[in-house]
Amino acid sequence: MLSKLLPTKKLTLPNGKIVVEKRSLTPLIVLLLLGFSYISIQVTGFDFGMFINRIREFFVIIQEMIPPTWEYLPQIWQPLIDTIKMSILGSWLGAVCALPIAMLAANNITKIKWISSAVKFLLSLLRTLPTLIVALIATYVFGLGTLAGTVAIFLFTIAYVGKLLYEQMENVDMKAYEAMHSMGLTTIQSFRYAIMPQILPNYLSTSLFCFEGNVRYAAILGYVGAGGIGLLLNENLGWRNYANVGMILLLLVITVYVIETISEYYRKKLK
Amino acid sequence: MIEFKQVQKKYPNGLLALKDIDLEIKQGEFVAVIGRSGAGKSTLLRCINRMHNITSGSLTVDGVEISTLKGKEIRKLRRNIGMIFQSFNLVTRISVLKNVLVGFVPDMPVWRKILGVFTEEEKKQALMAIDQVGILDKAYTRVDQLSGGQQQRVALARTLAQHPKIILADEPVASLDPVTAKQVMDDFRRINQELGMTVVMNIHHVEMALAYAHRVIGLRDGEIVFDGKSEDVTDAVLHRIYKGSPEQQGGSEAHVIEAATN
Ligand SMILES: Nc1ncnc2c1ncn2[C@@H]1O[C@H](COP(=O)(O)OP(=O)(O)O)[C@@H](O)[C@H]1O
Ligand SMILES: [Mg+2]
Repeated sequence: MLSKLLPTKKLTLPNGKIVVEKRSLTPLIVLLLLGFSYISIQVTGFDFGMFINRIREFFVIIQEMIPPTWEYLPQIWQPLIDTIKMSILGSWLGAVCALPIAMLAANNITKIKWISSAVKFLLSLLRTLPTLIVALIATYVFGLGTLAGTVAIFLFTIAYVGKLLYEQMENVDMKAYEAMHSMGLTTIQSFRYAIMPQILPNYLSTSLFCFEGNVRYAAILGYVGAGGIGLLLNENLGWRNYANVGMILLLLVITVYVIETISEYYRKKLK
Repeated sequence: MIEFKQVQKKYPNGLLALKDIDLEIKQGEFVAVIGRSGAGKSTLLRCINRMHNITSGSLTVDGVEISTLKGKEIRKLRRNIGMIFQSFNLVTRISVLKNVLVGFVPDMPVWRKILGVFTEEEKKQALMAIDQVGILDKAYTRVDQLSGGQQQRVALARTLAQHPKIILADEPVASLDPVTAKQVMDDFRRINQELGMTVVMNIHHVEMALAYAHRVIGLRDGEIVFDGKSEDVTDAVLHRIYKGSPEQQGGSEAHVIEAATN
């Protein structure tokens, strides 16, 4: 579309035929990017001098984190386990519920158009809500603590896995599904035996990937009182107890790394 | 027995795909339905197992009026009618055996349906069906590793495991090379002769239709323009069925057959 606005160049071949050269969009895009960068610096009032001056503070904080307070470790375990529990439970329940919801959203399985459109709309609505906000609302409903965090992760997982799943379902080969109907299977049975085998590896892989992300999300959910290690992180940052913060971050990094490694291993196997 | 009486099928967009079809197919017959592309062959086949609904007339299978059947009864009807597709319609990511086992699903208890657990007896039956089409050594191979001809045999085995009385085949050899096509057609003939299953087959390869079917039905624009023994299919008959196709000018049989196979 955009390329139509650009001036075109005509090449005349030796045999007299004329080819209209297609212009590259790259220079235009680079120009636009530069322009937007300039505008965003102006709009946000980004002060480079200030940035250089204060960046030192960042390294000061890092320095204070080292060495971390090892004695603090025993107090972190429980919140850390809470965090992991929140993400496992929320991801698991979310991934399970995402399946029927994705079936409702996929327009090749749910033939009634307004239902699939409505479910799709709800899913995208859910995805636009930041998890932190959902967690905050959940704390009003379920009180402070891990339940609120679990609900937030649950909802996010439904939105994320549900979306990717229904897109896969819509791209699935429907021929076997048709054949199973012709064999007297019901819609649900045909789905189970014709479509599930096609989407299962991807479904599991997507769910695991979502879980990886959820562990990281869960760590900050404590900020809004939704339980877990984020609560301690918030407290210690408030008290400027950076050595404790260092301990928490260290443990978090190790945990996230271990979980991602395990999850990645299984995701690769699913391919 | 399959019996069409004054059957009409109109698609929602107003297209009249079948007009006043009167047809009787007895148990054990091998019928080839021929006609140009768009003549209504697939539509005719799909009305028999209620993949499509007829819009008027009466269609009975073994005396049961099928246009009034509902949900569960339709599925019961379909259990007794196997269907074979041009593009095989298998689940390609899983093994041959698993594809064939799907035929048992409707009769399994719920927990086994969900978990996909099959009994030893079911596995034996499925393997027998796979053996009947001569690919027992491929039972545990993934379908996407098989050739087209082998895949069509898997589809045939899947249908056989269902023990249907009728097999509907919609251009089953159209995407196979001539040699493989002949092998698959031989399978159909054996199944028809040895197991007494009715075979109703859409096929655009006229020579093949004449060689394998006892009876040929010629469809043109949703109407039956010929219904008789294969031996009685003459030049004139083919002309009537395929008349007006741009490829067929001379009217000689060779030309007609060529037009039909294109
Ligand atoms: N789902 C449908 N909706 C509307 N028209 C259809 C549909 N399926 C087939 N048709 C039309 O009905 C006619 C018969 O089609 P079909 O039975 O597939 O013919 P054949 O199998 O002989 O090629 C064709 O004109 C086709 O375009
Ligand atoms: Mg067809």
